[in-house]
Amino acid sequence: MFKAEKFINETISKLKEGISGKALVAFSGGVDSTVCAALVNKAIGKQLIAVHVDTGYMRKNESKNVKKLMEKMDLNYRFIDASDEFYSALKGVLEPEKKRKIIGKKFIRIFENVAEEEKIEYLVQGTIAPDWIESGGGLRDTIKSHHNVGGLPEKMKLKLVEPLRDIYKDEVRKIARALDLHVSERQPFPGPGLAIRIIGEATPERTELVREACDIVEKEIEAAVEKGLMETPWQYFAVLLPIKSVGVQGDKRAYGNVIGIRAVQSIDAMTCAYSKIPNDVIDKISIHITNTLKEKINRVVYDVTNKPPGTVEWE
Amino acid sequence: MVKIYVIDNGGQWTHREWRTLRDLDVETKIVPNTISLNDLLIENIDGLVLSGGAPRICLEGNLGNCGEYLEKADFPILGICAGHHFMGRFFGGVVKPSEMPEFGKVELKILKQNKLFDGVPEKSIVWESHNDEVAKLPRAFKILAESESCRIQAMKHQNKPFYGLQFHPEVEHTEFGERIFNNFVKICGK
Repeated sequence: MFKAEKFINETISKLKEGISGKALVAFSGGVDSTVCAALVNKAIGKQLIAVHVDTGYMRKNESKNVKKLMEKMDLNYRFIDASDEFYSALKGVLEPEKKRKIIGKKFIRIFENVAEEEKIEYLVQGTIAPDWIESGGGLRDTIKSHHNVGGLPEKMKLKLVEPLRDIYKDEVRKIARALDLHVSERQPFPGPGLAIRIIGEATPERTELVREACDIVEKEIEAAVEKGLMETPWQYFAVLLPIKSVGVQGDKRAYGNVIGIRAVQSIDAMTCAYSKIPNDVIDKISIHITNTLKEKINRVVYDVTNKPPGTVEWE
Repeated sequence: MVKIYVIDNGGQWTHREWRTLRDLDVETKIVPNTISLNDLLIENIDGLVLSGGAPRICLEGNLGNCGEYLEKADFPILGICAGHHFMGRFFGGVVKPSEMPEFGKVELKILKQNKLFDGVPEKSIVWESHNDEVAKLPRAFKILAESESCRIQAMKHQNKPFYGLQFHPEVEHTEFGERIFNNFVKICGK
């Protein structure tokens, strides 16, 4: 069985041996990168700099909260708002693999700039097993290029350090609990962020729609969990679909966008079953979304696909 | 400690097989399917898992050195998905694209009790991901389990400790997956 304490001790001593000088950790504020930062911080202390990039595709208030988290963890950190840069890089891009690769490359270039200024040689990433498995290579087919693996440019100057490479999310959570990190139960959020929850072009306007819808899904589901109506799903969010549909809102014809709701149950993301959300909760989510987003969204659908054949995210 | 290696045929769940074995306190390692049987014998392994994979090996083509292991090994071998297909074809069966492929949730029905299914009820939920299947059973084998859309979900060699599974016991959503792995570990442990 996986033992968190043993893993922590072994990893810290490996990191002490493996890193000479300064390191940068790519810090999204999710479970994986937070655990990584905590472990490397224990190994090399203030030689570590956490870098959080606001890509513009983060959830509501997320980057603000991540900043607080970095302060609370007493990390040396850099906060970079690169929203405009990301938005313009994704302008006109529709293909999901292309989106992921552009985002992966952008992240690395930003990290390289920081590294150059700070004379850093190592890049620490919270890559976990499903990231490199699904990114493919050799005999293995590419399911999707995770931005931190398949999205890495071929040539990069930084040396990669990935202490969580061989473990899965449920094991990372065990480490987070052992380290007393309050992010331990946070739902996973993909590195490319909301950009891959917008099917088609991820414009700033469409990002705002999906950001609001994701926030509503999270709030309604968390409220339902609080009331004991359901268990917390592994992941739960909204997807903005690239189609429009006809409706009627206030006696007027509507022709708006469609939001898909996705919620799945899993322990490691390698297989998933769609969550059986109670109808009353689905009802509340649907009404909340259409009443809030008005003429922009006039239809909500629920995704009833397992993995396989689907994946958790749509892109 | 029982020592079982996982032969990597490029499956999405190869690493899950490794993890399940590791969680059962088995000494395990993922090795490429190009490793020779000799190199495996030097390591003194007690059993082998042939992983699934993206390559579709219906009618021809090898799965690395899997043929060599199946021809000469005397230790137990568990073929999963593509590993199971190859085992079927190697021993003279026929592998074909499935008329009705299965992805995700499927109900498994055990037809013949066997040590591999010790403690697994007659009907249980398993998780699948296949486009092809063993359509004709090799003569030396018997069928252990089926599903509604796939007649050969599990098979066993009549004289050798070789098992083939169409479904994936290594993933979380297969109800009795860990149990099946544990049974395989016991079979290897003798």
